[in-house]
Amino acid sequence: MSTTTNTTRAKVIMPMMPNREDLEATWRYLELGVSKIMGNLQDGMDMGTYMGVYTAVHNFCTSQKAVSNASHGAIGGAHRGAHLLGEDLYQNLIGYLNNYLKDLVGASKTHADEALLTFYIREWDRYTTAAKYINHLFRYLNRHWVKREMDEGKKNIYDVYTLHLVQWRLTLFSEVHTKVMDAVLKMVEKQRNGETIEHGQIKSIVDSFVSLGLDEADPTKSTLGVYRYHFEQPFIDATRKFYQAESKQFVAENSIVEYMKKAAIRLDEEEERVKMYLHPDIVMQLRKCCNQALIADHSALLRDEFQILLDNDRYDDMARMYRLLARITDGLDPLRAKFEAHVRKAGLAAVSKVADDADKLEPKIYIDALLEIHTQYQELVKTAFLDEPEFTRSLDNACREFVNRNQVCKSGSNKSPELLAKYADAVLKKGTNGAEENDLENTLKQIMTVFKYIEDKDVFQKFYSRMLARRLIHTTSSSDDSETSMISKLKEQCGYEYTNKLQRMFQDMQISKDLNSSFKEFESKALDGDSRPVDATYSILGTGFWPLNAPNTDFTPPPEISRAYERFQTFYAQKHNGRKLTWLWQFCKGEVKANYCKASKTPFTFQVSTYQMAILMLFNENDKNSYEDIKTSTQLEESVLDPALAIFVKAKVLLMTGNGDKLGPGKTFALNYDFKAKKIRINLNIAVKSEQKAEVEETHKTIEEDRKLLMQSAIVRIMKARKKMKHTQLVSECINQIRTRFVPRIPDIKKCIDILLEREYLERLDDDELGYLA
Amino acid sequence: MAETQPSTFITLASNDSGSVTVERAVAERSMLIKNMLEDLGEGAVASEIPIPNVGEQVLKKVIEWCQHHKNDPITANDDDSDSRKKTTDIEEWDQKFMQVDQEMLFEIILASNYLDIKPLLDVGCKTVANMIKGKSPEEIRKTFNITNDFTPEEEEQIRRENEWAEDR
Repeated sequence: MSTTTNTTRAKVIMPMMPNREDLEATWRYLELGVSKIMGNLQDGMDMGTYMGVYTAVHNFCTSQKAVSNASHGAIGGAHRGAHLLGEDLYQNLIGYLNNYLKDLVGASKTHADEALLTFYIREWDRYTTAAKYINHLFRYLNRHWVKREMDEGKKNIYDVYTLHLVQWRLTLFSEVHTKVMDAVLKMVEKQRNGETIEHGQIKSIVDSFVSLGLDEADPTKSTLGVYRYHFEQPFIDATRKFYQAESKQFVAENSIVEYMKKAAIRLDEEEERVKMYLHPDIVMQLRKCCNQALIADHSALLRDEFQILLDNDRYDDMARMYRLLARITDGLDPLRAKFEAHVRKAGLAAVSKVADDADKLEPKIYIDALLEIHTQYQELVKTAFLDEPEFTRSLDNACREFVNRNQVCKSGSNKSPELLAKYADAVLKKGTNGAEENDLENTLKQIMTVFKYIEDKDVFQKFYSRMLARRLIHTTSSSDDSETSMISKLKEQCGYEYTNKLQRMFQDMQISKDLNSSFKEFESKALDGDSRPVDATYSILGTGFWPLNAPNTDFTPPPEISRAYERFQTFYAQKHNGRKLTWLWQFCKGEVKANYCKASKTPFTFQVSTYQMAILMLFNENDKNSYEDIKTSTQLEESVLDPALAIFVKAKVLLMTGNGDKLGPGKTFALNYDFKAKKIRINLNIAVKSEQKAEVEETHKTIEEDRKLLMQSAIVRIMKARKKMKHTQLVSECINQIRTRFVPRIPDIKKCIDILLEREYLERLDDDELGYLA
Repeated sequence: MAETQPSTFITLASNDSGSVTVERAVAERSMLIKNMLEDLGEGAVASEIPIPNVGEQVLKKVIEWCQHHKNDPITANDDDSDSRKKTTDIEEWDQKFMQVDQEMLFEIILASNYLDIKPLLDVGCKTVANMIKGKSPEEIRKTFNITNDFTPEEEEQIRRENEWAEDR
């Protein structure tokens, strides 16, 4: 801080002050200053005037003048304590602004369109800048008189700056806003028609309109009221009209695909317009309006086009359509319906192409056909519909339809799971394909894709477990890893219960491996003088986990084998006391060496079933055996004996003599010493076609049985929990519970209910209700 | 602003031909000066600023206060905040600053009101309030040199009306 006493201060001229108590003189003084600010601010303002005006306002408001006017102070004055002066200045200022603005309104009449906008913006800028100055100069009025009035809850009293805005709105805006808006809309239309415009002007208009919205409750805050009513509304209306007209004409003259491109561009343009010069508040409304005029109004046309695009695989155009219709409510539903129908049709067509003969159908060809359609349309969902969940659901619905109900599945939906299980078997079997581990894993994934759509999951389970059993028993699995991977995939989809048995089967095989090695040890000590022990491995399979039945024939194994298996039985009884072993002879096999053949120095090795082995062993004693002898010695039923013999006869291992070609009593079989073959190892253990077919049929039969049990147990479970239930309710609840395994038919459920009624698990009550009997 | 433009000085001219040169940031404790400098732009900074309602002595006194308080945070506009209204506590420096004769005290109050320096106005008014606090009407009259123009009856009535407020 320093004080100077030099001569420069002589230059400072203190402004001449009006008499602080003279309203007329004070206002005359102030008006001069205000006019200068309003009209001539660009010339700059001298400090003297600035300080003079401020001081004059201050002096007037602080003058000690007694209340001169009876109209104020008399009522409230007594309670207000000190009387604050200022209302006169405030009123005079209003009067001044009114006159000023009225003149502006007059001047505006000479302008139109862009010139009017230029005029409005120029005057608005000048006015608001001035308002800021005047607000500062009248700050003393704001701080005291205005504040007091507002604190006391007086309406329509504003700080000086806000007062300027209010007056602008009342006097000028109300007169010119329609014309201004017309000019704005004309400019926007020009721009929409491709002309370049001065869009900064519109931005300024928007800002002005926004500023004029004042919150009545709190004048220091602004609202969008004025802007919304006077700008947004007309803007939206004009936009709607413009696009309605444009799109109508465009559609009439161009293709739908062209129209979609155009509409997308227009929509982007409008978004851009908002960013460029509109207030963000308009976004939602503008979008809605454009969506209506550009999309919703033409949605029927677009949807009709969709089928054509689907038929021609026009992914890009479908993506375009998706993006457009996604913008309107319920825009996509009809598309989804069409898409679903289309995929179903494509699936059915693909199936009927390969399904000329359902019985001879290769599983791989069938599954590949299903997968191809799925892959194709999943790709479409991904690229064109952005993996939208509802479209994925439509795809799933369609796939479920054509997987379960197609030409191949005419007789029932269980053909698909059967073929899928067979395909899985082929994939997992050793040697059928030299596929890499990776490929195998991929194929398994594809199998799971189809599996997901299979309704009769229980059928798949049946077939799969049978084939898994066979793969395990005959050790034809290509790899344990793939087997476990597949089982865990199934588990993931259907839960523990579904794969429980499969897993147990797998475990049994592991346990059996260990068991065999400890048996080898045991056997070496307990040969009992058997000089030529049969080298055998044993699989111990838990009853109930394996889909296998005890043999359907009696059988007396040859003594060589019985000695070996009796040793194993002793060993097993020692280890697990009380367990009963049932020999599944029909799954046993072995190899015998034929060292009697003259044709080859190295003896042939026959791979045979145990039944066949028993037959061949008989020829160790005699070169010739009659059918009856064989039957008595082996105790085999004809149904098993005949096919076994037939293979020997066909392969010329045995020569059949007797009347006629038909196998049976009366025939005699002789060992063929002249047996010839190209290979040293000959597989004679061949399953016969009819056998396979019988097995399939049997599998289906067990499925029916299992389903009945599943339904019955579900019914009992539900009833146990509910005690009482309406018949129809029970049926639907039952369907709900079972649906993950298969889709039960209502008559079947009803039959099951009847069975349970008969067995007195349930009872009939009044009013179609059923009760649970404990 | 004090940090960014330490070298900017302005000169204020009092109504009795005195003048005070002061750092701009200090002078801008006055909202009047702050607004004016902003409104009139850099051109105004160079010339002397007339302060028509304040004499040199008072102006210097006010500037002294501003100098001391130049780094105070500018108080937010919630001028009705309770702390400002209710407490009559004055910080030590301000108490010493206000140890002036009554005439000067009232001049400071008027000047701070005119120059729009709210914190100084507060300190001034609080000082006056503290002069009144705890005093009987008679003592107050004496302090401020006020002649009692009430009749005894009037005075008695006022006393009864305000009995509730008496500190007992």
